[in-house]
Amino acid sequence: MTTPLRRRQVLGLGLAGLGTAVVGPVLWDRVQRSAARAQPAGAARLASRGGLADLELVAQATRGTLPGGPAELLTYNGRSPGPLLEVNAGDRVRLRLRNELKQPTNLHFHGLHIPPTGTADNVFLSVPPGGSFDYEFTLAKDHPAGLFYVHPHQHGLSADQVFGGLSSALVVRGDLDRIPEVAAAKETVLVLKDFASASGQEAAMGVGRMLGREGPLLTVNGAINPGLAIPSGGLLRLRLLNASNARMYRLALEGHSLVLIATDGGAIATPEPLDELLLAPGERADVLVQGNQTPGSYRLLNLPYQRSGHMGMAAAEDAPRTLATLSYAGTVPPLPLPKALIPVPALPKPERTRRFVMAHAMGTGMGGMKHDMGAMGGGGMAMGGMGMGFVINGQAFDPDRIDTRVALGSTEDWLIVNDDVMDHPFHLHVNPFQVISRAGRPESQRRWKDTVLVKAGEEVRIRVTFRDFPGRTVYHCHNLDHEDLGLMGVLQIE
Amino acid sequence: MNSTSFRGHSRFLDLLLGVGAVAAVVSGGGSLAARASAPALMPVTSYRSASCGCCTGWVKHMRANGFTVRDVVVADVGVVKRRLGVPARLASCHTAEVAGFALEGHVPAADVKRLLQKRPPVAGLALPGMPLGSPGMESAYGKEAFTVMAFTRTGAISSFSQHAK
Ligand SMILES: [Cu+2]
Repeated sequence: MTTPLRRRQVLGLGLAGLGTAVVGPVLWDRVQRSAARAQPAGAARLASRGGLADLELVAQATRGTLPGGPAELLTYNGRSPGPLLEVNAGDRVRLRLRNELKQPTNLHFHGLHIPPTGTADNVFLSVPPGGSFDYEFTLAKDHPAGLFYVHPHQHGLSADQVFGGLSSALVVRGDLDRIPEVAAAKETVLVLKDFASASGQEAAMGVGRMLGREGPLLTVNGAINPGLAIPSGGLLRLRLLNASNARMYRLALEGHSLVLIATDGGAIATPEPLDELLLAPGERADVLVQGNQTPGSYRLLNLPYQRSGHMGMAAAEDAPRTLATLSYAGTVPPLPLPKALIPVPALPKPERTRRFVMAHAMGTGMGGMKHDMGAMGGGGMAMGGMGMGFVINGQAFDPDRIDTRVALGSTEDWLIVNDDVMDHPFHLHVNPFQVISRAGRPESQRRWKDTVLVKAGEEVRIRVTFRDFPGRTVYHCHNLDHEDLGLMGVLQIE
Repeated sequence: MNSTSFRGHSRFLDLLLGVGAVAAVVSGGGSLAARASAPALMPVTSYRSASCGCCTGWVKHMRANGFTVRDVVVADVGVVKRRLGVPARLASCHTAEVAGFALEGHVPAADVKRLLQKRPPVAGLALPGMPLGSPGMESAYGKEAFTVMAFTRTGAISSFSQHAK
């Protein structure tokens, strides 16, 4: 069902033993040790059978090569991105995570509506090096079909681990896949991920943790400029996941509209043709492409995007870059676009509105620094404070502090305010939300979202019903460096 | 709005001075003493946006190292960056001027002093981005290595100083 990409240039993953000859002494030591343990890359796709998904992900450092030299990449089952996980609504999911990293890790089931507790989407647990954990949960029979995202959520290490290469796309099959026009389309999951160069020099050019690290190497499913095929008259369903640490993707396909059919949490009501699609870290989108142009080759482009309110900051590229190339091959009788998809009902009236202000600042929290900043001389951190970092409503993340308590079953509006000089994609775990307005302007169509871009200086109003699952979870910036630097809060649903 | 309370100090002063969109704050603990101990240092004018949470930390660092700093809040720092010819790829949050040189971002005072002593043929210095551990960016979350760059009016860029973690 999934179209394999023709790989023009593939990262040297899972090729331990075939590596390059020039390796520095420090890296050599690490490479030797990881190569000694490295296993051949596992299957590219792991799927459920007969209502049960029995899956295993092994997080490990794997010797690989990047253009410019050898590199140690972080992989699931020897792959980056990890295997595509494919399950059905209603399935029982058992997923064993084995940690072969030298640091703790864990998993977040980004976008799934499952409990935040126990063996489900519990981001407060941690799997030590050498340890393993069996995640286990059941997806509701009416769980929306969609593209979800499995990645580490170990506070303080999330960005390192995702930027290093840990991610897997998770497809849940269900309602949307049964719409005939959608089912007739050829489907390809595209995991968009940038990598640091082998030298890592870009960090010294200022794209560090405060802005969120980006790498100069753009890959799609671990390949550089892979080919995609479409028959004349056909429909291609591109399922896009931004699995990057901080990079934004402003996508456009030469000569073609991207017809949006689903956002983070599942289908929208009516297909919506777009010239461009902006995808922040953690966001997903399903688009249909119609093979209705002159047969030839067309580039899927990443257009320049400025993710800081300040000219130039955050390394905006000044020219479009090619992510993949779509080529026409063969002809089929013309396939129509779907007319309607799946209704997105309005949520109940909110019982209350809360306000969350995101900023970078000399933060309090983690010990509660509360004193006159003027007394801090050179602007340094004082006893008990975290110093420079990111805050929500003035406080840096503290796993032992509950920031927001909501009633199970209630509906709330959250006003997410970005009082900062850079963009922050805001992500809420467990319950999907709807964006009501951006910068005071109502949204044109209701969509299920779990991550929403809040641009520098902007305010976004979201509405969410806390359904089904009590427990403790989090909301945070999905620029994962920002999350690790404090931009996260604890939500108690009770 | 808890998040802005720790930045309220300078905003409050801006309002008191009542100069509208552009307000200059020439004040600050320690700056008088600093001026007395280092009378030769040129005055610095720093431009920042009201919503930036780290620029005042750099101003304090400069004052603590003997510079007199005018801290100016502007609506669009980009205008200042363009006027001073800061290359886009070297951009940071605030931009400052000293003795005709541009200073972009959290450039350490020691580098500024060396610039003023040696007077190389450059338009200014830049520390792109906002590296953790640079002046005004001190953090318990860690430190990053960084390189201060020099740039010319024609956009030539070279390394001026390297700072290890
Ligand atoms: Cu952020």
